[in-house]
Amino acid sequence: MPRTRITIGVLALQGAFTEHIELLHAAAATIPDHDFSFPEVRTPAELARCDALILPGGESTTMSLVAQRSGLLEPLRDFVKAARKPTWGTCAGLILLSESANRTKAGGQDLIGGLDVRVSRNHFGRQVDSFEAGLHLDFIADPQRPFRSVFIRAPVVERLLPHVEGVQAEEASKEDTVVAPSVPVREEGRKALSDHVEVLARLPREARALGKSATAGELGEAGDIIAVRQGNVFGTSFHPELTGDARIHAWWLKGVVEAVEQRDRAS
Amino acid sequence: MATDLPIHANGTAAPRADEDAGDNQQAVKEGLARMLKGGVIMDVVNAEQARIAEEAGAAAVMALERVPADIRADGGVARMSDPKMIQEIMAAVTIPVMAKARIGHFVECQILEALGVDYIDESEVLTPADPTHHVEKAPFRVPFVCGCRNLGEALRRIAEGAAMIRTKGEAGTGDVVEAVRHMRTVNAEIARAAGMNIEELRMYARELGAPFELLKRTAELKRLPVVNFAAGGVATPADAALMMQLGCDGVFVGSGIFKSGDAAKRARAIVQAVTHYKDAKVLAEVSRDLGEAMVGINTGAMAEGDRLAKRGV
Repeated sequence: MPRTRITIGVLALQGAFTEHIELLHAAAATIPDHDFSFPEVRTPAELARCDALILPGGESTTMSLVAQRSGLLEPLRDFVKAARKPTWGTCAGLILLSESANRTKAGGQDLIGGLDVRVSRNHFGRQVDSFEAGLHLDFIADPQRPFRSVFIRAPVVERLLPHVEGVQAEEASKEDTVVAPSVPVREEGRKALSDHVEVLARLPREARALGKSATAGELGEAGDIIAVRQGNVFGTSFHPELTGDARIHAWWLKGVVEAVEQRDRAS
Repeated sequence: MATDLPIHANGTAAPRADEDAGDNQQAVKEGLARMLKGGVIMDVVNAEQARIAEEAGAAAVMALERVPADIRADGGVARMSDPKMIQEIMAAVTIPVMAKARIGHFVECQILEALGVDYIDESEVLTPADPTHHVEKAPFRVPFVCGCRNLGEALRRIAEGAAMIRTKGEAGTGDVVEAVRHMRTVNAEIARAAGMNIEELRMYARELGAPFELLKRTAELKRLPVVNFAAGGVATPADAALMMQLGCDGVFVGSGIFKSGDAAKRARAIVQAVTHYKDAKVLAEVSRDLGEAMVGINTGAMAEGDRLAKRGV
């Protein structure tokens, strides 16, 4: 019998975490027969209760420093990379979930990892270069209706990396690039592990320049990668939590329910 | 108790008929403020201090030539900082960099926007350039934060286009009492508005000198419709957590860090205190052995003419 209670935490060290919780509640209304709870996560004990996790937008350097000082960095790596529980990072959260990042602060920053990608931080420039654009996302409900996405000092996925056992050593040898440490996957997470990074969305350059919506398909492979998924780790460089549109949250939540039920059956 | 800021897709701007058109700058401006929530914004006067702040976990830094405590001590006219120094700070860190312009000095704002700063603080800490008017902030692409002592001031600034609000407190004193007074005043006025019917709200808008629509929205939300930080007198982790428990979304620390004994340690402690503001055990731990706090000025013994918070109503 499928269980009815699923706990999905939102990392609440800093940033726009309440917005995610609001949209998770909206998304939960689309999935009956389940009782969800969406706690804020600031401690290892709070994380331990979670079946899935969102890492929100905010300042990735702040989150990573506070996580480290709050004894949460290793538990987060265990959650994402060893247990392979469903995790979604938006903007700063995407940076933390990347195996490699450049343009970090002097001295680098700690990453959690989980996605075999290299992100370029503050890719579009400073706040005056931040923008909003309508995207056509084919994986969400009602895909014809553009998804308003807000890019705030946003990162992009600069490169998809080959999956390797251990750290991304080639990336580590690059100048101004930091990599996440290796955490071996545990048995319970093995099924959720994938060596393939799927590109779920690109930002067509024209869309940004004209303030118009267009699909990446119409524009070929051009355009920056702004949404990726590898196994059950998902990352977006924009902020679905700022739009009031719960379609991405509903899609992700459905995937979480499937992943949790699958895991329960296996154990 | 803190009330969460609900999502409004357009920000405080009016909804648009065509959702597919262009980018909504008000939503983007207010969006950055949301990304700063739960964080600490620290005053820094050079690249070295900016790096200390970034390593401590600051969510942003405020670049200025003199911290408020020195502005008080030096006297004279306080103006926008030298662009060279602001650019050095922008080059030194990857977190957002804010800078201050004088109240009403829209050309200083144009210059700061041209430099590419991430937020402008139209601030009473600098000497006002216009005795009556604030800058019309909506036309700028760079977002603005402004100070307030009460709900009327806050809503007037939002109407002018501010995407973020902070308490004024009394900058450069290390005395948190004025920040508490301003936050409690805003909270009390919002609570009063929330209990009013539409006719009473119209009268209250007139009394506050605030736009009716913004007041109505604030009454519905039971909080300010934009992100609201504490500022002006925060000197310890306990001060920061106090302001968070009073309902602020984050904290500015000015003179409190770099006028203290061990700036890096105090900065780290205040960052931890803002994240774990409800956890007294963490607050006790981070408050230990921080060295000398800034000496401070008791605002109760201060001459009226020395108060910065009176500037820009």
